[in-house]
Amino acid sequence: MLSVKGLRANVGDKEILRGLDLEVGPGEVHAIMGPNGSGKSTFAHVLSGRAGYGVTAGSAIFEGRDLFDLEPEERARLGLFLAFQYPVELPGVNNTYFLKAALNSIRKARGESELDAVSFLRLIKERLKILHLDDSLLKRAVNAGFSGGEKKRNEIFQMALLEPRLAILDETDSGLDIDALRVVADGVNALRGPERSMIVVTHYQRLLDYIEPDYVHVLAKGRIIRSGGKELALELEEKGYGWIDAEVEAA
Amino acid sequence: MTGAPAVEDIVRSEYEHGFTTEIESDTLPPGLDEDVVRAISRRKGEPEFMVEQRLKAYRHWLTMREPEWASVHYPRIDFQSISYYSAPKRPEDMPKSLDEIDPALLETYNKLGIPIEEQKALAGIAVDAVFDSVSVATTFRATLAEAGVIFCSISEALHDYPELVKQYMGSVVPHTDNYYAGLNAAVFSDGTFVYVPKGVRCPMELSTYFRINARNTGQFERTLIIAEAGSYVSYLEGCTAPQRDENQLHAAVVELIAMEDAEIKYSTVQNWYPGDAQGRGGIYNFVTKRGDCRGARSKISWTQVETGSAITWKYPSCILRGEGSVGEFYSVAVTKGRQQADTGTKMIHIGKNTSSTIVSKGISAGEGQQTYRGLVRIGPRAEGARNHTQCDSLLIGDRCTANTFPYIEVKHPSAQMEHEATTSKISDDQLFYCRSRGLNEEDAVSMIVNGFCKEVFNELPMEFAVEAQKLLSISLEGAVG
Amino acid sequence: MNGDPQIGFERWLAEPSAGAAPDWLESFRSGAREDVRARLLPHSKEEAWRYTSVKSLLEQGFAQSDETMTALQPDDLEEILVPGFETHRLVLVNGRYVPELSAPGDWPEGVRVGGLRALLESDPDALRERINATVDEPQPFFSALNTAGLDDGLVVLLGPGAIVERPIELIHLSVGLDEPRVAQPRHIVRLDAAAQATLVERYVSLGNSVYCTNSVVEVSLGRDAILRHERVQMESPNAFHLTGLYLVQDENSHYMGVNIGLGARWARTDLNARFRGRHAECVLRGLYLAGDGQLLDYHLDVDHAVPDCRSQENFKGILHGKGRAVFDGRVLVAKDAQKTDAAMSNRNLMLSEQAEVDTKPRLEIKADDVKCSHGTTVGQIDPEMLFYLRSRGISEPLARRMVCLGFAGEIIETLGSEALREHISEQVGRRLEATSLS
Repeated sequence: MLSVKGLRANVGDKEILRGLDLEVGPGEVHAIMGPNGSGKSTFAHVLSGRAGYGVTAGSAIFEGRDLFDLEPEERARLGLFLAFQYPVELPGVNNTYFLKAALNSIRKARGESELDAVSFLRLIKERLKILHLDDSLLKRAVNAGFSGGEKKRNEIFQMALLEPRLAILDETDSGLDIDALRVVADGVNALRGPERSMIVVTHYQRLLDYIEPDYVHVLAKGRIIRSGGKELALELEEKGYGWIDAEVEAA
Repeated sequence: MTGAPAVEDIVRSEYEHGFTTEIESDTLPPGLDEDVVRAISRRKGEPEFMVEQRLKAYRHWLTMREPEWASVHYPRIDFQSISYYSAPKRPEDMPKSLDEIDPALLETYNKLGIPIEEQKALAGIAVDAVFDSVSVATTFRATLAEAGVIFCSISEALHDYPELVKQYMGSVVPHTDNYYAGLNAAVFSDGTFVYVPKGVRCPMELSTYFRINARNTGQFERTLIIAEAGSYVSYLEGCTAPQRDENQLHAAVVELIAMEDAEIKYSTVQNWYPGDAQGRGGIYNFVTKRGDCRGARSKISWTQVETGSAITWKYPSCILRGEGSVGEFYSVAVTKGRQQADTGTKMIHIGKNTSSTIVSKGISAGEGQQTYRGLVRIGPRAEGARNHTQCDSLLIGDRCTANTFPYIEVKHPSAQMEHEATTSKISDDQLFYCRSRGLNEEDAVSMIVNGFCKEVFNELPMEFAVEAQKLLSISLEGAVG
Repeated sequence: MNGDPQIGFERWLAEPSAGAAPDWLESFRSGAREDVRARLLPHSKEEAWRYTSVKSLLEQGFAQSDETMTALQPDDLEEILVPGFETHRLVLVNGRYVPELSAPGDWPEGVRVGGLRALLESDPDALRERINATVDEPQPFFSALNTAGLDDGLVVLLGPGAIVERPIELIHLSVGLDEPRVAQPRHIVRLDAAAQATLVERYVSLGNSVYCTNSVVEVSLGRDAILRHERVQMESPNAFHLTGLYLVQDENSHYMGVNIGLGARWARTDLNARFRGRHAECVLRGLYLAGDGQLLDYHLDVDHAVPDCRSQENFKGILHGKGRAVFDGRVLVAKDAQKTDAAMSNRNLMLSEQAEVDTKPRLEIKADDVKCSHGTTVGQIDPEMLFYLRSRGISEPLARRMVCLGFAGEIIETLGSEALREHISEQVGRRLEATSLS
């Protein structure tokens, strides 16, 4: 589904990703962990096409296309979804209107018909339930005045609505208390399936108690230095990230 | 980010409404002196007092100087090269129904996408269409007459209701007010007159489409709306003009008078020709609009969406004289290409417990230059006066400018005055967020801009709001880099 | 005065009586004199003088102040010192530095602080590159007048990395003379790279005489330099006061200014800040209290000429009696000054029927990637607050004073020294007490 090979990327003059490889198969959930500054968020942003990052080498093949040849909206239409760490506010932009425009542009790209107002509303209400979100959300402006928890839930709600093939969750747990984390994780779990893959980017093992990964990767200094099963996360939790420096030095 | 080519395309896109309809015009030769002023009045068959008023205004205008304080730049206007009167060929043969209207004229409206017949049926709007300074079609007169509402051209009003015109014209904007108002008072061509009697709620939205056509013809509209005690009227004004090489001057005067408990809602969608990519040929829009809340609890509300003109220079104002009277100003102004706009409002609080609201949204793209200039004055007797001002600018591209010049003068301690202003650009983060949800850049921009303007669009009558949104989207599609 | 307006300034323009100045300074002075003579007086058609008339100032026929007053003894200063305020103290009387009254104390290496005239006498070229280095040309009218009479003032020069820990306190004392005189100090402040200091200027008087202070302060901050600059204007109630502050900041320098305006019958303060290097920060705060017959006029001009700089302008005013205030703030963001972050705020509390405030916070923005905002409020004391305090047994006048002090507190508490904060709070409280606060 996603095949990343030898990815190198800069922010300004500084190289952040230094030869990153990752293979994600259908239905798999991969966790990417690492200390602050290891390049986790950069990786998420580079995949989704945020400006300000320069890819200097490598490829990321998704659904047979190299993501780096595509505009952000083309990646989204292909089935890539990024749940943002800091969802931006769009004052005055109505949530329903926004969601409908997004969904229909993706459906159109998939060769599906646009949803009419009635079926759209039915769908949206059904998906709201998964995240325990209130209808009133639909009348508000996108993310404007949302609490931190609401913003994160809203991201997962959008994922439920847009039904991506590959979802990247960028530090979705940051700033969430344990109850909110549970709601978000339940939402994510409800969306797991054989055709949907996920990359969960996080600093803490805590999230992985709720979203159980198939694979765990440790990112340090822009490269994946270790991969393993979910037990690797526990090991990290125990030992902290301190040992990584030693390992990188040794390598 | 890509999308830059699209920006250039759109910013350079030719004016959609740029075409000219061939209609023979009975036009005075260019130039201005007392004889021309008399000739205008004579051709329109005006009563004697009007000739005198025009001459008085003209003589005063000669002593005035063109203002230079606004943040706009344009070549000096040669007032002797302008023709001060043009009318369709057969003024004595005015059409009684749409069938009688010159087909070329109807074609013009069709090209504009505002066919009069459809509008009548569609929105129940009475249209007093002004084509080159003279009314050529007035509809729904009967329905209005039944309610006692007078809705006609100023010329007709001068024939049929000279006393009303004499009493009110110039009472809000005197000919001594400013240079362009002075010129207008001397040479005004025609315009709209509305009189709503006591206690009458005008049964429909009143609307006028302005259009500037004949070559080098300055347009000097004059609008006068009087709402008697307890009455209500909503007036819509929308405009568009064909493409021209010469700059065209538009110096209109609008006077609103609201008596006790009366309410006037005045909405404008302005989309005059802004000039070509080099800034040539656009309309100069130097307008004086002022409302006088004379009676207690009266209310005047200005709502405007300004996307056109090469230069816009206007400050729709409210004089809040009556106790508890209310003034409102809601504005969206867009400048792109080489457009310049110096616009805003004045809220003059004179009476007790008067309140005013100002919401101004400025959008600057390309090399557009925009200035918000607003005055809020709380006079020494305006006990309990309130004002809230929100004034936001959105910048698109790196060659545009946005200035905010609020003047706030408070002479009474019980005043509550709040002014907030922000200037920002559409952030890369906002665009990226929308695009990562599958929206293309143009849709994302249009969505964000419409969100930015929402508070103002909410104030427009429904059919106007739709038109305004469309206009805004066309004006700014892809204008982001 | 009613004829040729410039005649009102002839006495003001009289040549300084001091000894010979270096040639370069003499040419500055004569150039400025010519300049002033050729110019129109400030008038209300000029945007900068829209709300403030110079008529009452002109009518006084101020004359250039001549010789140093030395009759004062250090004991005479007692009543104007701030208790507990430990400083390097430098005293100017009627615009001239008086070493006998000063207590500068010891300075760290690389620091030169003292009187401007004394410095020129010992080292005529020391300030050649510093005087008029930050003032915009053509100089604003009153700054040009100051240049024409330039003769003394305070000089603060800090070399690279120099740090002065105790505040440098400049006391500008005015004492009444036989006729209305104008003092025109020029203060030169230069902090080289990474230098740090706190400068406190206090304008005070002995007695209630009529005089005018027309000061110009030139401040330039090198890279990474940090200056706290606190200015307290407490002139005599019959005095006229003018300040032209010109600030230029290099990369990553920080300026934190607080302007307290309590005195004078007529005061005009122009604060001009210009960024010359990126990532610099400028904070301009102010508190003004204008009562009967007072006019306090503040003009701010912040020029974001380069990218990545931050500025914050926060002025609060309390108007009582027939007090009048003007606030005219302008933030200019140049075409290439991306990532500018500027926030301006002006809030006013009106306590009387006759008070008046004219406020004009302006933004001129030519760059697109900026974050700029401004806010203004004019209002009166919230009756809910008053009621709450009174329901707790507090008398109405005290309750009003408390609310006002709370309003002023936001600015006062940004002053660096506890002693000065207390002094200002007390002065504000005393002035509020003296008015009926109706």
